[in-house]
Amino acid sequence: MDLLKAIMERRSVRSFQTDPVPVDMLRRLVEAGIWAPSGGNAQTWCFIIVTDGASIRRLKMLSPGLLGNPPAVMVICQNVAEAERKGAKLGKEVLMLMDSAMAAQNIMLAAYAEGLGTCIVRSFHPEGVQKLLKLPQYIEPQILISVGFPASVPKPPKRNFNIVSFQEYIGND
Amino acid sequence: MISSIEPKAFELVCYMVTSACNLLNENKLYGPFRLLDTASRLITLLEEEGVRSKRLEEIRERIIAGQYSVMEDEKVFADFLQGLVLALIPLMEDGTV
Repeated sequence: MDLLKAIMERRSVRSFQTDPVPVDMLRRLVEAGIWAPSGGNAQTWCFIIVTDGASIRRLKMLSPGLLGNPPAVMVICQNVAEAERKGAKLGKEVLMLMDSAMAAQNIMLAAYAEGLGTCIVRSFHPEGVQKLLKLPQYIEPQILISVGFPASVPKPPKRNFNIVSFQEYIGND
Repeated sequence: MISSIEPKAFELVCYMVTSACNLLNENKLYGPFRLLDTASRLITLLEEEGVRSKRLEEIRERIIAGQYSVMEDEKVFADFLQGLVLALIPLMEDGTV
């Protein structure tokens, strides 16, 4: 699939079919995630895939942004202790967040190429999800991604092209 | 014995409580969005429990059609909310309340 086409056609899907997502597909998404760039090559992320219906329902109770009924939810976590050990303050406060976001974009584009719909979610209660998933204190959930075959795909929101500058810098004075 | 409605009500209450907590640090427009989503979920819960109502279904359809404008355009979302409230008035005349 053409990469630019995938970038421009991916949408935030919030309505899913009930069909489960095959496990090998989910594994390919995780693989796409771990090929993302990582600040200082720290790679302090870890990925949890939730597919059990009851577990997803519990996750939704603590995640107001997790909309629709996705058959799978990917939880991108960071090992905060490792992020700090490898990247010091910058690693813990900035790089691990950037890494999570870059991994998420890879996952969502790979999902699109597989015919899947996704939606990135940050509106959840991190401590609550950490406790629900029985994660140790140093593993923090950063991003949720709902995954499933789309039941409907929203129209693209408007994009503001005025912010694009081909000058050396923005604002000539 | 726990009635069948209790687990669904529990889910909804958890969603509302978590929303209340998270909204302290979120975009202010997410407040009305979560209230709308709660209304939609409540209508679905009642429907699953045998409470079928044309006017409730209509409200949910309108919510689903317009709620995601919150992600795109503040004015469109505000206009949608205004229209939704006004659309409730004729529905009030269709029931006992």
